[in-house]
Amino acid sequence: MIKHPIEPDAEPAVRLREVRLTYETKEGALLQAVDPTNLTIRAGEFTALVGPSGCGKTSLLRIIAGLTPPSDGVVKIFGQTPKDAQRHKRLGLVFQEPALLAWRSVEDNVRLGLQLNPRETHSSTDVNELIELVGLRGFERYRPAELSGGMQQRAALARALAIDPPLLLLDEPFAALDEITREQMRYELQRLWSISHDPTDPPRSAVFVTHSVAEAVAIADRVLVMSPRPGRIIADIPITAPRPRRPEHEHADRFINDTAIVRAALRSPTTTAVPLDAA
Amino acid sequence: MALPDLRPALSWILPPLIALLLFAVSVELWVRIGEVSIWIMPRPTSVIENFVSDFGVYFREGMQTMAISLGGLALGSAAATILAAGVAHSQILERAVLPIAIMVKVTPVVAFIPLFIIWLGYGWEPKVAIAALITYFPVLINAIAGFRDVDPRMHDFFRSVDASTWEVFRHLRLPAAVPYLFASLKISVTLSLIGAVVAEFFAAGQGGLGALIWFEQNNLRLDRVFAAVLMLTMIGVTLSTAVVLAERLFSWRLDQPVAAS
Repeated sequence: MIKHPIEPDAEPAVRLREVRLTYETKEGALLQAVDPTNLTIRAGEFTALVGPSGCGKTSLLRIIAGLTPPSDGVVKIFGQTPKDAQRHKRLGLVFQEPALLAWRSVEDNVRLGLQLNPRETHSSTDVNELIELVGLRGFERYRPAELSGGMQQRAALARALAIDPPLLLLDEPFAALDEITREQMRYELQRLWSISHDPTDPPRSAVFVTHSVAEAVAIADRVLVMSPRPGRIIADIPITAPRPRRPEHEHADRFINDTAIVRAALRSPTTTAVPLDAA
Repeated sequence: MALPDLRPALSWILPPLIALLLFAVSVELWVRIGEVSIWIMPRPTSVIENFVSDFGVYFREGMQTMAISLGGLALGSAAATILAAGVAHSQILERAVLPIAIMVKVTPVVAFIPLFIIWLGYGWEPKVAIAALITYFPVLINAIAGFRDVDPRMHDFFRSVDASTWEVFRHLRLPAAVPYLFASLKISVTLSLIGAVVAEFFAAGQGGLGALIWFEQNNLRLDRVFAAVLMLTMIGVTLSTAVVLAERLFSWRLDQPVAAS
């Protein structure tokens, strides 16, 4: 069992330096998808990334995940390249679609991350315990097609958590769910993010892409607001509400104030609302 | 004790059965009333009579034809699946192989039978080779499509834990291709039977239903020709049903869209 301890002297979970993404369109024109971006996400921080559709927030997440190489700039995940972070299974990915393997049971889907690249499987995750944690007990042998959308997304969350990643990357994970389920899921996510984690690693971080302001404010420590294309982080808003957050907090003045600040930043995309942290 | 309700099953089985029976009866009447010569058209009743009395012969020759057909199917689809795995991973291989594969496909491969007999002799080898050549194309095209029909998000998850190319193939591409492979097997299984019979025409005297049909046609025993064809029909039904049943056993992803031929 190879264990790759993360140096405790506070390597940030994510560090982006002058990261830029340019596409070439079919007509040969260059399209700036992500403007030069500097960003530091500390270990243990839950960061939400909000912005209008097509602003490049998914592109930014994919750059952090090492799935899309940036055109320019440096990406470090706990001081490593994204490729090394993948190799050491430090990334837990959840997408908008559950993207489960249709021919596998829930249990075998959750196990997938442990089964692949097995030399790096050092986590002692109890798959059954994890299935219980996400509320799918009794459905271990079901196939994805037999589950509701919300249950499929719970299975996808369990799959991401099975490798016990110190960094969770979530791309609008609840966008395809109905309103009631998605309000419930954000608190489930908060709970899962904070528990069942290897104590020798730094506290788990998360980058959560969403276009729901309420969702971002309800769950995050920090909300990053992106401008329409070319995507640029135009505001960095700390959310200081105490944890654990509960659904009833969404009626508190503090929550209403925070959402108002985020909404204001979204409406005025040309102003740099709050200075960005120097990376 | 209540008997199971057979009506739904009967409503499927009865109409084609009655239609077939009506057809046989009209042929029988036509042949009898019109006094059609048995050198032109045998009576359906005498075909059945001959089929039953000489069943051992038809069965034996039929088993030989079926073995050739299955051998060709196994060889052709295995080669096509392996080639498709390569093509799905390499664009250069795709560009090199696909035009040749299509060229062989548009050529009526039965034209190669005389050559294959010269090269491979009068045994089972040229027949299996023809059956294989005739079956490989649907499997190749469908397998390539199947290996590539992978949800990009699933592929992203595999990449995010640094899965190897082999792991992606074994746990993602191969299972994704299973419905495609079965769809192509349904086409190829009947094609392989055609290949086997036509090859047997050329290698007459070496057994098999094709050779039997050839021989009985020369003797103007049309009742025996029809009886042999009846055996071929039964083999065709058996093989196609076997593929469908095998697919049911692999009941995964049956709710997913399956590629057309």
